[in-house]
Amino acid sequence: MPTTQLLSEVTGSVWEISAQPGQQLAPGDTVMVLESMKMEIPVLCEDGGTVVEILVAQGDAVAEGQPLVMVAS
Amino acid sequence: MSEGADSGTRDNASEAGPWADALDELARRRAFAHGLGGAAAVEKHHAQGRLTIRERIDALADAGSFSEVGSLTGQGLYEGDRLVGVTPAPYVMGLAQVDGRPVAIGGEDFTVRGGTSWSGDRKKGGQGGFVEDLAHQYRIPLVNLIDGAGGSVTSITRRGHSVFPGVHGFERSVQLLGEVPVVCAVMGTAAGGPAGRAILSHWSVMVKDTSHVFAAGPPVVERSLGQKITKEELGGPAMAVATAGTIDNVAADERQCFEMIRRYLSYMPRNVWELPPLGERSDPPARTEEELRRIVPENRRRPYDMRRVIRLIADTESTFEIQPTFGKAVITCLARMHGHVVGFIANNPMVNGGAMDVKAARKQTHFIELCDTFHIPLVFLVDVPGFLVGREAEAAATLREGMRSVYVGLQATVPIFSVVIRKCYGMAGMGTTDKNGLDLKIAWPSAEWGSLPIEGGVAAAFRREIEAAPDPKAREAEIEAGLRANASPFRTAEAFGVEEIIDPRETRLILCRFIEAARGRMQTTLGPKPKAGVRP
Repeated sequence: MPTTQLLSEVTGSVWEISAQPGQQLAPGDTVMVLESMKMEIPVLCEDGGTVVEILVAQGDAVAEGQPLVMVAS
Repeated sequence: MSEGADSGTRDNASEAGPWADALDELARRRAFAHGLGGAAAVEKHHAQGRLTIRERIDALADAGSFSEVGSLTGQGLYEGDRLVGVTPAPYVMGLAQVDGRPVAIGGEDFTVRGGTSWSGDRKKGGQGGFVEDLAHQYRIPLVNLIDGAGGSVTSITRRGHSVFPGVHGFERSVQLLGEVPVVCAVMGTAAGGPAGRAILSHWSVMVKDTSHVFAAGPPVVERSLGQKITKEELGGPAMAVATAGTIDNVAADERQCFEMIRRYLSYMPRNVWELPPLGERSDPPARTEEELRRIVPENRRRPYDMRRVIRLIADTESTFEIQPTFGKAVITCLARMHGHVVGFIANNPMVNGGAMDVKAARKQTHFIELCDTFHIPLVFLVDVPGFLVGREAEAAATLREGMRSVYVGLQATVPIFSVVIRKCYGMAGMGTTDKNGLDLKIAWPSAEWGSLPIEGGVAAAFRREIEAAPDPKAREAEIEAGLRANASPFRTAEAFGVEEIIDPRETRLILCRFIEAARGRMQTTLGPKPKAGVRP
């Protein structure tokens, strides 16, 4: 099963994690919300799949391009 | 053909008719040209997933529309006086049509010496040459299908001397950027001159997996810096398109690349002396989209899909995004409004909350110049809290690149329409308006503006008052609430500080009407746009 990483599009911090390992995601589902520049930026799983691993914790600082979630398609 | 009375002609004519030998030689020479670098080289090229230059031109141009120029150029191989072969010049070019409109088109033939031209071959094109003269003289777009690795040190031996840089220069290439649309597609590995040529374009594209672009490839990099890096890491789309913005867009394969070129050219006039072509006008300007009313969340911390906003406003299926993966805090899109070509520049609240960073500024600057040069009106969809701030942003020269974008916007003479969707703050906000023109600013009820956002400004402006208060936090919130009440967009409209506030569903209609009205004025200001001054 091929896995892909969802990368952060922004520099900021992890505001809220809504997905859990093992969870099935439909295309476009939100897996977590980042805070950046005082905005709540949703991280979407464009293609859907199964959450394999969450790579960050709530409150963590994240950089642009940093892997956030492993998803199996 | 009538028989000539000249007995000499009659004597030379074979049974096949007059000039049969010469026409036969022409056919043989053409066959050599069509053989490119030979069957083995062509097979190797195909095995790498690449089309030959002739296949590329056929795939891009309208069927049967290519009139080749210079098909016989090359190095003839003779046995005595008898021609036994020709190594064709590794550059194929001529006049063709794309969607019924003429273009000058050319590209390197990688199957001959890796696309490296010699001496007389260079007159055809690649850097300057006939193909660029054709675009200049006839004022028609130029399409470069680049597949060459540039110069080779072996030329020193052949010539007996080394060449001074610029012997095949970029003078014409630079001139064309103010005259006709120039598209450069990197179809293979482009280094050196061909890589530089790719940059001298209005729009550039490369192909995933099979094309790379860099000033110099991995062997030179390793020799110069000791850096070991793959071709893909150094000049694949992840670097050249998404990270560096050296090339604008990436195509999944060569076929898609040609579709994208056709699509890009469909928005362009033939040259700067003409207006862009009117497209289909079947999508009614009065089409209203309920979704626009709901798309901006009332919670100011929640972003929304700005690309969706563009798609809802523009003519159905009419958008073409330039640089979608670079400088993502701003979205730049060619599109149509009731058939008129327009350029959308929209802040993207999903990235940096829409704050302009150095890459977004660079992208916006280029897009403004592109649209201004080809008389394409600009529509700003504004949601910008300002320039990006912080140590990294300052180190990257956000302020300078941001102000360069503002400067180029103020030099533009094409009509600019500003639709303020949410935030419009500071210098970046000012840069979204038509200060030198009508300065028509249309706001949605969700709009807010100022010289800086209230939340950032209160702490600085009321520092002493806040510090002296028994509960500083509460005092700060109180001041903020007071200011925000006065920051209603309707109060600015009372003062005609913003020209109109509209229901978001009315956006398409009002823009279509003003864009249509501005077309007549643009017809009177056609031609090149020479610009004086020094960009900051």
